[in-house]
Amino acid sequence: MTCDKYENALLAAASNGELDAKLARHLERCSTCRMTLRSERELFSRIDSALRAQVNGEPGPDFLVQLRLQLSKEPTARSGSDHPWHVAGAALALVLIAMLYPLMNARQSGVQGSLQSPTIKLPQGAGVRQSARAAEDLGVRSRHHSKRPAVESAVPQEPEVLVPPDEQQAFAQFVACVARRDAIAEAVVTPVANKLVTNTTELPQVSSLELADLELAQARQEEWVDQPGNSE
Amino acid sequence: MQEFTWPGRAAETELALDLEKAALRREFEQRLKECGTLAFRVARGVLRNAADAEDVAQEAMLRSYRRFAGLRDPSRFRAWLVRISFRLALDHGRSARRREQRETAWATDLPKPTAEDIAASNEFGRRLQEAMAELSEKSRLVLLLTSMDGHSLEQVAELLRLPLGTVKSRLHSARKQLAEKLR
Repeated sequence: MTCDKYENALLAAASNGELDAKLARHLERCSTCRMTLRSERELFSRIDSALRAQVNGEPGPDFLVQLRLQLSKEPTARSGSDHPWHVAGAALALVLIAMLYPLMNARQSGVQGSLQSPTIKLPQGAGVRQSARAAEDLGVRSRHHSKRPAVESAVPQEPEVLVPPDEQQAFAQFVACVARRDAIAEAVVTPVANKLVTNTTELPQVSSLELADLELAQARQEEWVDQPGNSE
Repeated sequence: MQEFTWPGRAAETELALDLEKAALRREFEQRLKECGTLAFRVARGVLRNAADAEDVAQEAMLRSYRRFAGLRDPSRFRAWLVRISFRLALDHGRSARRREQRETAWATDLPKPTAEDIAASNEFGRRLQEAMAELSEKSRLVLLLTSMDGHSLEQVAELLRLPLGTVKSRLHSARKQLAEKLR
């Protein structure tokens, strides 16, 4: 009967061929363990020789010939630039772009959507046409459509004037006023023959005080020039 | 708009590419004999059949040739070749086993072998193969490589890019399992 406590040591000795002193002393006394060790060594030896015979064979004489024939049919080895990482990197970049593009569009349209409510509503009735034109000139746009396609949001637009709801009426009046002034300025610049001036148009008044100042300045300049000491 | 290239420049580029290809081909040819045998041995260790092992080794060498530009470092090439040969041999063995099972499905169970049968070397080899098939792939590869002539434990560790202790541990464990199944 094999002594149980030496079982692992016996297996290790059979496998590695290393025999420690304690096991060696035991083997001198125990014939059963000596038998076990011998049979285990024989088993490992058979395993090793079977494995060696299995893996150390040589290929047949035609092996290399066949291999060269196969290689000659192969296209040439790929160059180093065709590394699969390059392809993988490009694919990853494409996937990232495809993932981020809708996200960015949604964000942009979300920002525009949040800014839609405070835009001005132009007053109805008299002078609306004029005010609307002026508003257009200033870049104020009334929005009639709450939804816009994503493509349109990417197109650059004219700047918008954002007006709080409680100031929309005052701002509309301001816009109309500016429009009237524009009409006045247009009437002044345009020749009379080509322009139909309405009764409500007022021509700009120039004050006499401003004219007097200009004359005075001109006179002083003439005096300064006529002085004899100033001639060079 | 197509970019203009000098005719001489295109010819130079083509010539350089041809030279590089020829250099790659020469370099691969130098490794053909040594590494072809290595691939064959790994495959034969798995398959136990020389003809099948040659097929697998050829396939492994062709694959390595296609990837040779990225595998020019000799140690890297050998490690890659060992792995691909082992993997291809396992796949080949599995498909062959499935084919064999289909062909012999009608056969009745064979009687269990006696002690005399086990003593016979061919029977021992068969049982050894069964026992090896139950090993993990990692242990199996270590066992095959360490059984090859000229492969020390250190060389196997370098080939598989593993610590020496890991190789020793896997080898010991694999041999112990084999012995338990063959005892």
